[in-house]
Amino acid sequence: MSKKLMALLAALLLVASFAMAAGEKEAAPAAAGVVVDQWEIPFLNSLTGAIASIGEYLQWGAERAAFEINQAGGIAGKPVKVIGVDTALEPQLGVVEMGKIVNWALVALGPVPEPVIMAAAPIAVENEMMTMTATTSLEYAERFFPWSISWFPATADRLPPLATEWAKMAGVKRVVQFVGVYGPWPGMAAAHVDGLKAAGAAHVGDVEFNVDAVTFGPLVVRALDMKPDGIILACWPDKAAKIVQELKNRGWTDMNKILLFSSADDAALYTTGGAALNGTIIYNYINVDTDRPRWIAFKEAYSRDHNGLQPPSLSTNYYDAVYMIKRAIEETGVTGDPRKLKEERKAIAAYMFNMKNFEGLLFNWDMSNGIPTNKPTYLFEIQDGRKKLVKEIRP
Amino acid sequence: MSLALYYFLAITAIYILMSWGLYLPYRVAHLHFLTVANMLISGYLAGFLVQNLGFSFWIALILGFAAGGILGYLISLFIGDAPTFTVVIVGFTFIYVSRTVVENLKAVGGTMGMFGLPTVAGTPSTHRTVLLILLYVLVVVVGFLIYRFEHSRLGRAASAVFVDKDLATSLGVDIKRMGRLVQTFSSLIAGGCGVLYGFIYRSYHLDFFTFHLVGIFMTVIFVGGYATMWGTVIAAPALYGLTLILPTEVASWRIVIYGAILIAVLVLKPEGFITRRLAYRVENALTRKRKRHITDPKGD
Repeated sequence: MSKKLMALLAALLLVASFAMAAGEKEAAPAAAGVVVDQWEIPFLNSLTGAIASIGEYLQWGAERAAFEINQAGGIAGKPVKVIGVDTALEPQLGVVEMGKIVNWALVALGPVPEPVIMAAAPIAVENEMMTMTATTSLEYAERFFPWSISWFPATADRLPPLATEWAKMAGVKRVVQFVGVYGPWPGMAAAHVDGLKAAGAAHVGDVEFNVDAVTFGPLVVRALDMKPDGIILACWPDKAAKIVQELKNRGWTDMNKILLFSSADDAALYTTGGAALNGTIIYNYINVDTDRPRWIAFKEAYSRDHNGLQPPSLSTNYYDAVYMIKRAIEETGVTGDPRKLKEERKAIAAYMFNMKNFEGLLFNWDMSNGIPTNKPTYLFEIQDGRKKLVKEIRP
Repeated sequence: MSLALYYFLAITAIYILMSWGLYLPYRVAHLHFLTVANMLISGYLAGFLVQNLGFSFWIALILGFAAGGILGYLISLFIGDAPTFTVVIVGFTFIYVSRTVVENLKAVGGTMGMFGLPTVAGTPSTHRTVLLILLYVLVVVVGFLIYRFEHSRLGRAASAVFVDKDLATSLGVDIKRMGRLVQTFSSLIAGGCGVLYGFIYRSYHLDFFTFHLVGIFMTVIFVGGYATMWGTVIAAPALYGLTLILPTEVASWRIVIYGAILIAVLVLKPEGFITRRLAYRVENALTRKRKRHITDPKGD
């Protein structure tokens, strides 16, 4: 009896040891010298306040990347965690939080958006820590080089070809722009004008307004008074939708002669504009119809978590940023040892500043001195709340 | 000192000074939101002088104070004795106007803002030390002046104006002069705060000066206690610090928490946490103790 029991126990132990050994094989081995139990990446984000909806999907993108990475064995064999730090669009919160982060983090995501970037990013620069401002234009990000990288090429390089292509395609000759007076947008509007000139179209005027504008009838009348045959909208998504509705109400029919800029490509555009947007053209930096398996999985997961909505254009930025950090840590042999914090921060920043052939969610690209050199841009036509690719433009 | 603590202390000082800047005109029933426009104008002026024209920070700071004071005085000539609502509208209008002017001024960065302001003294660390000392010296000086004001005939006259303007006039109070005085002084403080605020961040962006600031300063005054200057000293660090010490999951509810605190205070303690009676009681207790100490230093 006791012999049988002993044999059973021995067999169980054998099975258990095999199972444990198999389990160990599944986890990726930690790289030599890694001392952290978990990589922690702080993300200075606006999770509440006026742009909370944008902050939510930026955070979602970063956490999705962390989830995938952890499923695949982590970074250098250790899991990664993205820690959302809410700055609520307030620089006075951003500086205190960044002041805490520079004490321990290897690299940070954010801040978001420009006022918080301007207040908090200098603290990262002073402490020689990379802070990835992946939603702003080069004109902001370059102020913090080499402790930041730009997600976009210079506005003056990337936007004129888009405006040129649209002007040629739509055959417009006289264009009016609606310009939201905010951050880099007036500069973006100026770049559109350069593109129009290249296409031989005249820019007949701008209609400027700020975030407080609520009625657009008078502004649209002013624009139509300039007798345009084309309209560019460089403003907030909900306001762009209302302007399109006002244009339609006043007899505008050539919808593909309306171009919306990238920052208008947000859920509020589609929920506010509805069917009125059908036929309008919008430019952006991601092609939602790409058939890369990772992107399809991302799109499905996003849609599941967001009531069937498509991922907005910026939703991929911090997803890619987390993967860039993963590659930088693994390629530079960073250990996470607090005693080496300064040198490891430098190693990560230097690597990312000139990272080559990065495999992004939607396309591969190279960084050259902090600026992406070969990211494509796209023109889409909007139909029933979805974007249909019209043209890809490669630098 | 850690960076987080430095920023907490520096911005708390700005909150205290700016809340006093609103508190003082409120003593004569004026909600003087012009102070936020004063911050913006003086801040950008100083930034331009330092960055574009090579002025020293100290001269720019003095000019920032002066610009605030002069603008405040000029406007007070028209609204020194205006009803509360008129003063509110003028303040909001000036915030709009000054924002629109800056948006269109390329020399100060327009909508992009101003980057990379120089340090006020040597290294970033010295810069922080100097700014912090400067801010708290200002808090002490401004606090002392307001304290003296409150304990003077002017302070009592202001209290009379707050209760009933007609009654105050019949008692011989020149309410227009009183309004001009407090409005000019609060604009002067706000001008200096605007300069210091930008140099804390070493940059200026229009969104540093939004209506949101009005909300913060009003909350500080009404939660702390609008009838005494001491409420601000307690409420500014408490309300700002609360959001920073809460766990991340709870901190994102801070607007709800602020709202709940404000409603609770308005319902349960409409005069705010520090009432005038409480302030007098503490002052009297301290005075009695001091007198006892003077008459009997050994405590026998």
